Amino acid sequence: MSWFILQVLPYITVTVFTLGILYRLGRWAGARIVHNITLAPFPQNNSQVVGIFATEVIFFRSLFKSDFALWVGAWVMHIALFSVIGGHLMGIYTLGKQFVYIGMSEGLSEAMSSLLGTTFGIVVFFALLYLLFRRMSIQKVKEVTVTSDYLILILLLSIVTAGDIMRLVPSLSMEYAPAKEYVTYLVMLQPIPATAEVLHNVIFVIHLLLVQLLLIIFPFSKLMHILGMFAERWIINRPYTEPAPGLPNVDVPAARAAGLGLPAEGGVE
Amino acid sequence: MPTYKDMVQPVRASEAEMRKIHIEPVPDDQKCEKAIQYLDEIRKKYRSFVMAMESCVKCGACAENCHTYLGTKDPRNIPTNRAELIRKIYKRYFTLEGRWFGKLVGAEDISLDVIEEWYSYFYQCSQCRRCAMACPFGIDTCEVTFIGRQILHWLGIVPKLHMGVGAAMEKVGNHTGLPKPGIVDTLEFLSEEIMDEFGVEVNFPVDKPNSDILYIPSSADYLLNPYTLMGAGMYFTYIGANWTIPSTVSEAGNFGLLFDQYFTQRHNVTRLLDAAQNLGIKKIVWGECGHGWRAAKMYIPSLADRPVNWPITHIHDEVAYHIRTNQLKLDPNKVDHPTTLHDPCNYTRACDLQENLRTVIKACVADFREMYPNKERTFCCGGGSAILFDDPEMYQRRIQLSAKKAELVRATGVGKDGNGYLCAPCSICKAQLYPMVEEHELGVEVKGLIDLVGKALVWK
Repeated sequence: MSWFILQVLPYITVTVFTLGILYRLGRWAGARIVHNITLAPFPQNNSQVVGIFATEVIFFRSLFKSDFALWVGAWVMHIALFSVIGGHLMGIYTLGKQFVYIGMSEGLSEAMSSLLGTTFGIVVFFALLYLLFRRMSIQKVKEVTVTSDYLILILLLSIVTAGDIMRLVPSLSMEYAPAKEYVTYLVMLQPIPATAEVLHNVIFVIHLLLVQLLLIIFPFSKLMHILGMFAERWIINRPYTEPAPGLPNVDVPAARAAGLGLPAEGGVE
Repeated sequence: MPTYKDMVQPVRASEAEMRKIHIEPVPDDQKCEKAIQYLDEIRKKYRSFVMAMESCVKCGACAENCHTYLGTKDPRNIPTNRAELIRKIYKRYFTLEGRWFGKLVGAEDISLDVIEEWYSYFYQCSQCRRCAMACPFGIDTCEVTFIGRQILHWLGIVPKLHMGVGAAMEKVGNHTGLPKPGIVDTLEFLSEEIMDEFGVEVNFPVDKPNSDILYIPSSADYLLNPYTLMGAGMYFTYIGANWTIPSTVSEAGNFGLLFDQYFTQRHNVTRLLDAAQNLGIKKIVWGECGHGWRAAKMYIPSLADRPVNWPITHIHDEVAYHIRTNQLKLDPNKVDHPTTLHDPCNYTRACDLQENLRTVIKACVADFREMYPNKERTFCCGGGSAILFDDPEMYQRRIQLSAKKAELVRATGVGKDGNGYLCAPCSICKAQLYPMVEEHELGVEVKGLIDLVGKALVWK
């Protein structure tokens, strides 16, 4: 079972994930922007558009203004999750020495990587819990929720829980080195030796199973909002140039000097 | 009063009336099948619709930002749920997850009940786009209800009100069905009114060849909002413009935007371009009408089936330009009422007109008070997209839909002494607010913006 999840399933996952996303993007690209539905205030040029995209993507500006309580949970969750994913990539690739690039010693970098990973792991757990609680407790949110909305949150929570257990329970932990070794085998299309540590850590196997489940449903679920956000804003935040004001053949001083509108004899208050 | 399983619905056009606007109504036993066919065709065309269907995360941030939900507390009036009425069908027929997992992901089979839901809830949406502004991704429910209404139209389900307007537009070129002699008569009467009240000589040229400016008034200005048309006439006379009103398209509005963005909307555009060509026009200036200005500014470029050789601007843009360049003499003390401004949703979210509105009103009014939230965060009057139904139950809905606006007007305090002005520079806003300020007892009178310009002009 572990062998299937760690050795076979990853190739299936990557295939489904990639083709699925291409399929969805193809659907979006097939339809057109038919009419101009730019949202005011209109950006005047592309740098302003970039500014809108940046504040929306990095700070969730619209959400901040429209629903602050949701913004707190959503922003913290996304930033922490993003950091965790970044930490996985950098930490596993450099074996925890990624902060050497910004001047830390190797030992300090490893400690930093470990501390930040654990912190963000816990933060993302509680932020997800907050979002799940919100979905179950606020009437209007309950009314817009369908079963899959709960399931995706629970799936994310399970992934994070498995990750946090490996972080917090020393006997179940997984070091960077065996993880890197495992990824190397996968990338080089080589079989994993039966003695590899990853095959014998149950929590690690569960973690990987759930992550792959998430990636498989990703293209067929609302998780596509990560790309959808850019596609939608591409439609509603576009530069617009106003036509020049001023009316043809109009000379107001001349019209006033000629007294246009004033009757021949008096009458105006 | 038409209701369907506890849902309010506007009175709908009869089959004979639908044929007048070129639609052969689909019989009930084929409606579901046809609806899926039309939905399939249209989803392949509009990306704005596809994105609304495929990237919503159901966070619920739109709920408290929709005046329809705030006024009715009906969960199906939460913008994302309103879109869900069509999204559940879209998922079921056009997505893998919907086909495989059905109810689990919120997919549902189509039925006549669903189509009736569309009719009820898509005609409670004002298409004001406040949800697009609130949404973290910018998903625009307006794009969903546009397409829902379009499909309903092709199925033969349109409110009597919208059908009547569509038919009148095709027959005479305006929404009220006013023929050319009626237009000329009314304008002569308005000239006399201006002379009596302001002592100024204003002529309204109709179909005058070789005019520089084509002015497109809202046809409601002939009957309901005469001061807006009078104000426009006084402004053009004041600046000495060579202008005219075309009798063939004396309508700033375009209900096609609201229920049929194909034939009905395009037909009006064609009339406009013909009139501009025939009268030798150099620039087209639009009158006070919110959805009409959106239709003109944002949709004519994509709907015109020939090159558009005439720049199109709004009269507020032009007045604001003349104010900024100090060419108009205006006396704000002539408008001696505390005044607040209702930002029409189509101006401030769809057309970027908010700053010019303020330039104009501040020059015309001594005691101007902002109403918050304003500009692009404005709440709709509750009548947006012409859901101005008069039958008793829908009228009750209109009172609910305007509740949020009423609360905001009250907060400005302009109506405290019963002599306030509520400036609502859009024909639909006016039509909605004339009765609503009475229903909510706001102590204000509803005015257009050009009305105030006309009143404040200093002639010598």
